[in-house]
Amino acid sequence: MAYVKQIIGIFLLVIVICGGPLMLTTVKEEVVFAPEEVVTRAIYLVQQIAGGSLGTYYLGDYERSIAEDIVPFAISTFELLFSSVVIAVLAGLLFGMFLQRFWIVRKFQRLLDLVSTIPDFILIFLSILAAVGFYKVTSIRIITLSPTSDAANKWFPIVLLSIGPTIFLLKVISLKYVQIGGEDYIKTALAKGMGIWHVLTHHVYKNIKPFLLADLKKTIAITVANLFVVEYLLNVVGLTRFIFSKSSMYQFNAAVMGLMGIILLSILVYLLIRAILYLFERILVYK
Amino acid sequence: MQKRFNWPLWTGCVLVTLLLLLGITGPYLAPYDLDFQEKLSSTVVNGKTVITYPPLPPSAEHLLGTDKWGYDLLTLLLHGAPYTVFVTLAIAFIRVFIGTIMGLYIGIQEKTQTWWLSVENAWSYMPIFIPVYFLLAGVTINSELPTSSLVALFIGVVAILGTPSVTASIRQKTEQIKETQYVLAATSLGAGREQIIFRHILPQLKEQIVIILVTEIIAIMTLMGLLGMFDLFVGGTYMTTDPVIYKSITNEWAGLLGSYRSFVYGNAIWIFLSPLVAFVVAVGSFTLLAKGLRDQFEQSYNRTPFI
Repeated sequence: MAYVKQIIGIFLLVIVICGGPLMLTTVKEEVVFAPEEVVTRAIYLVQQIAGGSLGTYYLGDYERSIAEDIVPFAISTFELLFSSVVIAVLAGLLFGMFLQRFWIVRKFQRLLDLVSTIPDFILIFLSILAAVGFYKVTSIRIITLSPTSDAANKWFPIVLLSIGPTIFLLKVISLKYVQIGGEDYIKTALAKGMGIWHVLTHHVYKNIKPFLLADLKKTIAITVANLFVVEYLLNVVGLTRFIFSKSSMYQFNAAVMGLMGIILLSILVYLLIRAILYLFERILVYK
Repeated sequence: MQKRFNWPLWTGCVLVTLLLLLGITGPYLAPYDLDFQEKLSSTVVNGKTVITYPPLPPSAEHLLGTDKWGYDLLTLLLHGAPYTVFVTLAIAFIRVFIGTIMGLYIGIQEKTQTWWLSVENAWSYMPIFIPVYFLLAGVTINSELPTSSLVALFIGVVAILGTPSVTASIRQKTEQIKETQYVLAATSLGAGREQIIFRHILPQLKEQIVIILVTEIIAIMTLMGLLGMFDLFVGGTYMTTDPVIYKSITNEWAGLLGSYRSFVYGNAIWIFLSPLVAFVVAVGSFTLLAKGLRDQFEQSYNRTPFI
């Protein structure tokens, strides 16, 4: 029951947020606040959902059914989101914790620190520039901007999307690693002659885990923020297409469905990552 | 142990000072008027007539070149500088001021404020640019409001929507300090709530607040850049409908970057690179400052891991 309540709460929040452009408008030289418009639209939306359809939206000049498009869009967004977060968690744990003790990894982190001075969305831009330059020099194509392109080019948006969360998570984990590494119980464990792998999995990992889980939601939030940019700039056809359309005006129905879909997907990704971490613990830590 | 010279702090300080100076004097330093437009012109070179037309690449007359419509990029950037610098600063100060006060008063409460915790929780998972975009999209594009009120509206919306994160970190710190012995001693000596907040807790938070201020500035600049990607510019977006072109009214840097983003694919790459470099330098100098400050404050707590 509590989950149903939460879902309804999220739905209401999404309606309020998506109603923003309808609520706040300008007429002549005044800002007009008109929440009633959102209420009527929301009621209409709920009626449509109750009637078994999700309504229609305009993609360019064509009117299309949301229900027909939402599944393939959601699948491509999910692939992007899930793979990027998995890459971020893997890279974070690997370089932030297990390999942190090698100097070359620490040097690599210093480099990444330097890179993280630049905001994520600019890094995405620079990567596009680099990919175009790379194509000009070597004529190897690693980037396609056509939305109907073959699936072989999926990895490029995934890599771009994983830059932001990886930098964030790596920073969090290595900070905690340095803190926990200086604790007395680590010293004791080492003094007892326990192997480094044992200390890492049983003492360090277990103490990093709560922080990792706490920051996992934040990681996903960062990924979602970057998702908008990646899908928009690289013409990936995904759920954000419902919200920011390049060729048509803002559409309330589609925006609500898109945002709701993204939120539900990020919850799904969160649960899946938790499951993966649980499996990792069962298989590698406790054997 | 000899203290190492804190390079990030000093470079950051110098760059931020330069940026502030640029923000104040920018419009006066601009080589051309804001509405100066380079037109089609022809010159005779070696007996042949050569037609030059914008976009003009960087040259002695136009240090950063001109954009597709013949506007001098350096002039645009210098006129936009005050908006970039001072809008960001204003938002950051408002956020930190309100956030600190709220955080202190919520943190000092005996009982944990569950309503606030749920607000904090829900808000931290929402990429902030989504609500900001939706709230401002209806107002900013082709608005009849004067630029000043659009800027004020932007400052207000972004400041208020960003306050919960500042409140969260101040609240957590306050809750930690609240449990210390000297606060207990002060309470038993009869200190009131305000006394404890302003005499005993706030002084402990000074360094923290400075760091939060600088990190908020970085976050706000990034947010402005992101909004620029979706054609929502500080101080208003001017949109032409055929062809659809979005232009920043204030020429604020993130806005210029957003409106020139399509030139990333063309040959006139300088149109995109000039605002990009300006924006990255602005964000980078604050990032350096934040890193320097953090290093400075954390030096005394530094521990080396055993493994």
